[in-house]
Amino acid sequence: MQMADCRNRKILHIDMNAFFASVEQRANPSLCGKAMAVIGSVHRGVILSPSYEARAFGVKTGMTYGEAMRTCPGLLLVPADPAKYSYTCEELLGIWKDFTPLVELFSIDEAFLDVTGCERLIGDPVQIAVQIKERIWREKGLTCSIGIAPNKLLAKLGSDMKKPDGLVLISPEDVPDVLQDLSVKEICGIGPSLTQRLAAMGIRTCGELGRAPLKKLTAQFGIVGERLRDMGLGIDHDPVVPLARMHEEESKSIGHSMTLNEDCADLEMLERHVLQLSEKVGRRLRRGSYHGDTVCLTLRYADFQTFSKQRRLPHAVNHGLDIYSAIRELLRDIRLTQTIRLVGVSVSGLTRNVVQIPLFGEERKRTFVAEAMDDINDRYGEFTITWGTLLDRYDHGRIISPAWRPTGDRQY
Amino acid sequence: MLVDLDEPVSVGAVFSRGLMRPVWFSRGKRQVRINEVAFTWKTREGDTCIHHFSVTDGSGVYQLKFNTASFVWRIVHADG
Repeated sequence: MQMADCRNRKILHIDMNAFFASVEQRANPSLCGKAMAVIGSVHRGVILSPSYEARAFGVKTGMTYGEAMRTCPGLLLVPADPAKYSYTCEELLGIWKDFTPLVELFSIDEAFLDVTGCERLIGDPVQIAVQIKERIWREKGLTCSIGIAPNKLLAKLGSDMKKPDGLVLISPEDVPDVLQDLSVKEICGIGPSLTQRLAAMGIRTCGELGRAPLKKLTAQFGIVGERLRDMGLGIDHDPVVPLARMHEEESKSIGHSMTLNEDCADLEMLERHVLQLSEKVGRRLRRGSYHGDTVCLTLRYADFQTFSKQRRLPHAVNHGLDIYSAIRELLRDIRLTQTIRLVGVSVSGLTRNVVQIPLFGEERKRTFVAEAMDDINDRYGEFTITWGTLLDRYDHGRIISPAWRPTGDRQY
Repeated sequence: MLVDLDEPVSVGAVFSRGLMRPVWFSRGKRQVRINEVAFTWKTREGDTCIHHFSVTDGSGVYQLKFNTASFVWRIVHADG
């Protein structure tokens, strides 16, 4: 893309304010105006989304319940209801798509819209942003912050500048002034560790980052160095990738994980969790017509130390039982030194629409059984028919993965 | 505090312009008039669509759901 084109782009970044908490306040008007927070599980976990009233007391996303309650005594805790949020996200997507087909869902509560060329039809980017905010408020009763800029990096920065219910325009000519004294940690993609490494080089602001010699940056960060320099200058050529185009890109891996209600050291119990996760992964693989030849087990100890073990299989699989058998072997090979807090199962090395027709009787039967089980579960709901071991399965349906998307392989 | 119920319930609803709106429901011998539908969302149970309604009668908040396959209404939570 030419530099001139980049400067003329009109990108909106929409960030729904305290999304989960705001949805719960809409759904239960008695929570409106109160310090409340959405939590992952009633048993344990962390704060997923505090309301603005709770944020005023200092409650932050990621705090443990204990920390949050100490910070804000009387804080109301509401268990997350992912179905409510994913449906609301789909409705918001419908609103955004009325303005432009170029909508990239960045997460369940954030999106980029490319409205370049929409001026004559709907108005300038500020008018479009105002219309979007009005529609979201009128139809869903929710507020959002919108950043308008010539690229995604600056649009995201703009939406972060004024919350809640903000609208910030960063014009190409404003970019040097906006970035000059801005801390590098404010830029999306520069995390705490990168901030620290930059600080060690004497770079604290975007202005300093933009002026830093490219040689010095690449010597320290390799090819990322150039990208970092561009960030400091407010340059970002990344296009807005709409969902439909995202679905054309094939998944590299499919996985599920769950944080347990209580730390667990019982191997039989862990194997049951692995079977449940393997079944879910198998369902998604089959739904997307995928097979995978590499299975991976992820475990997190009680002290948050996390590790993975993976194994390449002689042939690609997509049945829960095949995934389970391979993962169970990995699990049995591990000498656990602590109780387990989180279990994850994933399959990679994916191929799509490549199927070996089962040749032998046993194999054929297994395929037919899986197909019959899929048909029944499609019609009556997940786990309507399943292994006897899973009748007493673990309910971990209260978390939305950051990778969730309303359609395609990441819809689950 | 919302109380979990998940019980069948009789509901009077208006269907208009492609939308469904509950207007009253029975609770014991009492008929609760719905002042406001605060929030709506949909889920799926297998291939069945379930409509959820968060409603209020002015003093309490209730959650109702309607199964489009069985035509059964249930009251899921009550706070009132």
